[in-house]
Amino acid sequence: MEEERLVSGVREVLAEQGVDTRELRLSRIPGGASRETWRVECPAGQWVLRREPGGSVSLVPMGDEFALIAAAADAGVPVPAPLAFEPDGGRFGSPGLLMGYVGGTSVAPRVLRKPEFEQARERLAGQLAEALARIHAVDPAKLDEVLPETSGDPAVAQIGEWERQLDEIGEPLPAVELGFRWLCANAPEPAEPRLVHGDFRLGNFIVDEDGLAAVIDWELAHLGDPAEDIGWLCIRSWRFGNDDLPVAGVAELEDFISAYEAAGGATVDLDRVRYWEVFGNAKWAVICARQAHDHLTGVRRSHELASLGRRICEPELDLLELMR
Amino acid sequence: MQDRPTAPELLDSVAEYLVGELRPEVPREQRFKVLVAANVCAIVAREIRAEAEPDQADLELFNELLGDQSSDVHAAAAELSRRLRAGELDDRIDELVPRLEEHVRRKLEIARPDYAGGGP
Repeated sequence: MEEERLVSGVREVLAEQGVDTRELRLSRIPGGASRETWRVECPAGQWVLRREPGGSVSLVPMGDEFALIAAAADAGVPVPAPLAFEPDGGRFGSPGLLMGYVGGTSVAPRVLRKPEFEQARERLAGQLAEALARIHAVDPAKLDEVLPETSGDPAVAQIGEWERQLDEIGEPLPAVELGFRWLCANAPEPAEPRLVHGDFRLGNFIVDEDGLAAVIDWELAHLGDPAEDIGWLCIRSWRFGNDDLPVAGVAELEDFISAYEAAGGATVDLDRVRYWEVFGNAKWAVICARQAHDHLTGVRRSHELASLGRRICEPELDLLELMR
Repeated sequence: MQDRPTAPELLDSVAEYLVGELRPEVPREQRFKVLVAANVCAIVAREIRAEAEPDQADLELFNELLGDQSSDVHAAAAELSRRLRAGELDDRIDELVPRLEEHVRRKLEIARPDYAGGGP
């Protein structure tokens, strides 16, 4: 879709919300491995438009993501204000979500190393724990039209989902297959299903100098075991080099769990978190393979996506070491 | 026979240019992409230098685990994956963890030699 048509589509949607759209400009924000992101600016305000290029790893259709972000906002989770959703062929061309702009950065190495985020880093673990406790406190009954119901064991459901994703790619990853068999054999007692963000990690947090400003990228959300989000947050890839601090490269797990429980989260079992960390490494390996596959099949040609194919072995090693 | 530089030597030269000369010249938000490009060159250079040895070692490993005589490492990996998924190797999980770690470490030697040793 040509940029001009996109601009007029966005102008129309904003005008419906009562916005004065004179001097409206759109500029592409680089990055975002699976979705296209545009910054929308005019003297009256700033917004962000996210569009789905199609073919990307996404468990949640964008229209449902809109409802999810609204539910999260209601639960007190910091999120960008959801403004409008347009379906495929709508005024944004491909499916798109228009949201309030949140200042800050989502670039993980910047958050972890830049001096201006020093105070943010000190606060971040506590803020993440509180946000996650609120996500997990959302009443699943409110989501029954948004997220598919889980039948049975959430661990079995997730293993099945990511095996299916791996099958779609068609590349043999024996270490990941072994991981899934181990996960089947070692599944914990089924948890009562809660809203799980599914990609709760640095890179999907907008951080400003005061810490967490917004949780973004809800496209892998589902109903599942809340410990899944904690295990995912702990995998080595999301420490971005701060390997000795397991929680997002900023905190010890024990401190994070104390803050999570203090914020109303259910009591956390460390073995369960460890289990979901094993799962998280298998899932990240599949996502890496999927992104390389999107390059290879021409969904989106990018040397960045291509190079992720050669990062599969990183979570594979962590997966196997955790299984020992 | 081709003249020097060899293929990996050529890739080294491109990687050096990308990191040393190009990276400081491009806008900040593009710098990561330049590093990724340099890293891709380094991966390919290591893969060429390693020749057929890692693939051969993987083929022998997969054949041993499967009790097969395959001559195609990709086909052997696919067969191992299929049998794992079917649950046919469920009673050998503990045995397979360190063996598949050998395979994964061979991939890391090419893709990211500094990764092993960090611990999960």
